[in-house]
Amino acid sequence: MPFFPQMPPPGNEVLLLGALLAIGALAGAAVQRLRLPAVFGYVLAGLAVGPMVLDLPARQMLQGARAIVDIAVGLVLFELGRRLDLQWLRRDPSLWIAAAAEASLSFVGVTAALVGIGFPPVHSAMAAAIGVSTSPAVVWLVITDSRAQGQVADRCLNLVAVNTLLGFVLATMLVAMVHLEYQAGWLTVLLHPLYLLTASLAIGVAIGLALPYAAAALSRRAEVQFVLIVAAVLCAVGLAVALKLSVFLALIAVGATVRNVPRRSALLEFDLGGGARVLYILLFVVTGAQASWPAWHSAGWAALIYVAARALGKWLGVMMSAPLSPLPWRQSACLGLTLMPMSGMALLLMYDISARYPAFGEQLASVLLAAILAFDVAGPVVLQWALRRAGDARS
Amino acid sequence: MLGPFAATKALTIGVELELQLVNLRDYDLTRGAASLISALAGGPHAKAVKPEITESMIELNSAVHATHAALLADLDRIRAGVCAAAAKLNIGVAGGGAHPFHHWAERRIFPTERFHALSDLYGYLAKQFTVFGQHIHIGCVSGDAAIRLIQQLARYVPQFIALAAASPFSQGEDTAYASSRLHAVSAFPLSGRMPAVDSWAEFERYFARMASFGIVRSMKDFYWDIRPKPEYGTIEIRVCDTPLDLDTAAAMAAFAQALCAWLSEQDAGPSLSDDFDLYEYNRFQACRFGFDADIVDAGTKKLVPLREQIVATLDAVLPHAQRLEAVDPLALLYSRATAASNGARWMRESMRRHGTLADVVRAMCERWCTPRSVSREP
Repeated sequence: MPFFPQMPPPGNEVLLLGALLAIGALAGAAVQRLRLPAVFGYVLAGLAVGPMVLDLPARQMLQGARAIVDIAVGLVLFELGRRLDLQWLRRDPSLWIAAAAEASLSFVGVTAALVGIGFPPVHSAMAAAIGVSTSPAVVWLVITDSRAQGQVADRCLNLVAVNTLLGFVLATMLVAMVHLEYQAGWLTVLLHPLYLLTASLAIGVAIGLALPYAAAALSRRAEVQFVLIVAAVLCAVGLAVALKLSVFLALIAVGATVRNVPRRSALLEFDLGGGARVLYILLFVVTGAQASWPAWHSAGWAALIYVAARALGKWLGVMMSAPLSPLPWRQSACLGLTLMPMSGMALLLMYDISARYPAFGEQLASVLLAAILAFDVAGPVVLQWALRRAGDARS
Repeated sequence: MLGPFAATKALTIGVELELQLVNLRDYDLTRGAASLISALAGGPHAKAVKPEITESMIELNSAVHATHAALLADLDRIRAGVCAAAAKLNIGVAGGGAHPFHHWAERRIFPTERFHALSDLYGYLAKQFTVFGQHIHIGCVSGDAAIRLIQQLARYVPQFIALAAASPFSQGEDTAYASSRLHAVSAFPLSGRMPAVDSWAEFERYFARMASFGIVRSMKDFYWDIRPKPEYGTIEIRVCDTPLDLDTAAAMAAFAQALCAWLSEQDAGPSLSDDFDLYEYNRFQACRFGFDADIVDAGTKKLVPLREQIVATLDAVLPHAQRLEAVDPLALLYSRATAASNGARWMRESMRRHGTLADVVRAMCERWCTPRSVSREP
């Protein structure tokens, strides 16, 4: 009969997304029973779906879900940008000192450690730059899920916004240096990072400036403003992709502009809520599914050294600012720990770099992959523990 | 345990102010008390700032003062210290009797044994008790004098409520009340008015009886509108919402001081049963309508506009205010009463102007933390 499907029926992307979403949600709920953060479950689900265990067609998944991943990343970065409070950084210098110290210590520390065990400097620095940023998505979701409130959670979000920006700037500059290694023209070397930085910031700031005016002109009702925010995020993500710019930078700029321009009072503050959760789960599962088993024999000790140098750099960086900070020591120690998470976005960046620059080397890629996996899995758990220990999240 | 009444100099004043701690993002209440208190530790104001039942509240305590000017200067120093520390923590500090839109279930109990015990006993009432009041202490020479003053002051409770009212919004809605805060207090057993006792000895007997039932252990178990505080040697007037600025807060204390001075010279007379019968009704009227309330006068048995009553009281106590160097603060209250302008009205106008309650709270933070020389308004 022609109206019957062929057997077995062909799968399609919608079905695949539905299945991934269900797996992610179930894994999240399951680990929450063990009092672990839901994000930890999403990460495990992603790893399980990927080549490490079930080996579903991960690459195709990413192609199909590319828009969803971009939108989810856009929303998270917008939220993060909206937590970047420049006035606070000015009022409490210990906050920007912590931001500068943790980013530079982790960057310098990891680079030095990798060079020390024999990796080439520029490539080591690139691997270190990927580790400068703390996963915005993990931090955002763990803080929202645990309803964490207080100095450690608030400061953590500000530090993550700053280190995401710094990590991006470092990576862009290093890409330029790699261009040079590959005998690209000087013009490319100078213009590419410049274009990425200025144009990404420019569209972000422009949309961020327009948003409150649109909100003031239209409506103060939450549902209208919600749609407006989603529209702005979609436009910013779309423009960044179309103009080959950085989605990260553009979206943080939108959020930070909305937060820091005087007109912000026209825009309501609200949780993007359950709708955004669907996108976030898919983000974790789809990006996590890209991870393959690192070659442990070649990663080995080097990966451990990467993990130790990054963790120590971030923690010590925050502790260096502790004497100037109004926080008690114990809270500063917790704040340092909240910066550990790394996630799937770092993974994608790593694959992207090692595909474009083969000389980056299989071995360094393996080291980085192993380190990312370690922070990806342990990060959310450490983060939640630190938030509880600090009293910001209910235990 | 009820200790002896520690006699103090008559008419000395002291003030406790419960303040709201909000985030500077959406201006909802936030968890900030512990951070703020630890940031102030070791500084000059460490002893003047205390935690309250939930983590979004702090309490400022003034020292004991003889005059309004000294009290205001003291409170202003503490206010400046707290606002500076809060700025470093990105926490907003505001007056007002209730947060306009917080959800009580999101509040967290401040982790001390006493607060946890209260939370266990009172359940959701403990978190709903996240309301913000000003408590005015007036020194008394003896327990008898304190009890007498408390009974005399009962008639003036509506005047205090209307002058200080600053909680028109609750849980995101306009309540139609000038002070919605007092209803959070009314939910507690042992709230409202102190019973009809006429001497300290009689009060001690009442307390012993309540203690023998196992209902109370200390004066803290009574949530009365006005209660004696024997260990300080004061009476404590607790019906005022925390005003939106320090000038009003200090003026309320000056008003209480002058009123008590005047009442001490009046013939106390027996407590009228009408006074007790009318108390709750008049109190409700003042909460609901503020300056526009009509109050039943227990003496004349007639409805009197509350605003007129306040003006009459201010006139009556003026000679005492002159002696106590408190004419200016009473003039401030006089202008407020005649213009029917209190914190509740200011907040509603702010809402009309800005359109969101978050902006109202932002304006409240600015008003509370603006140095006094700038914030003086007509």
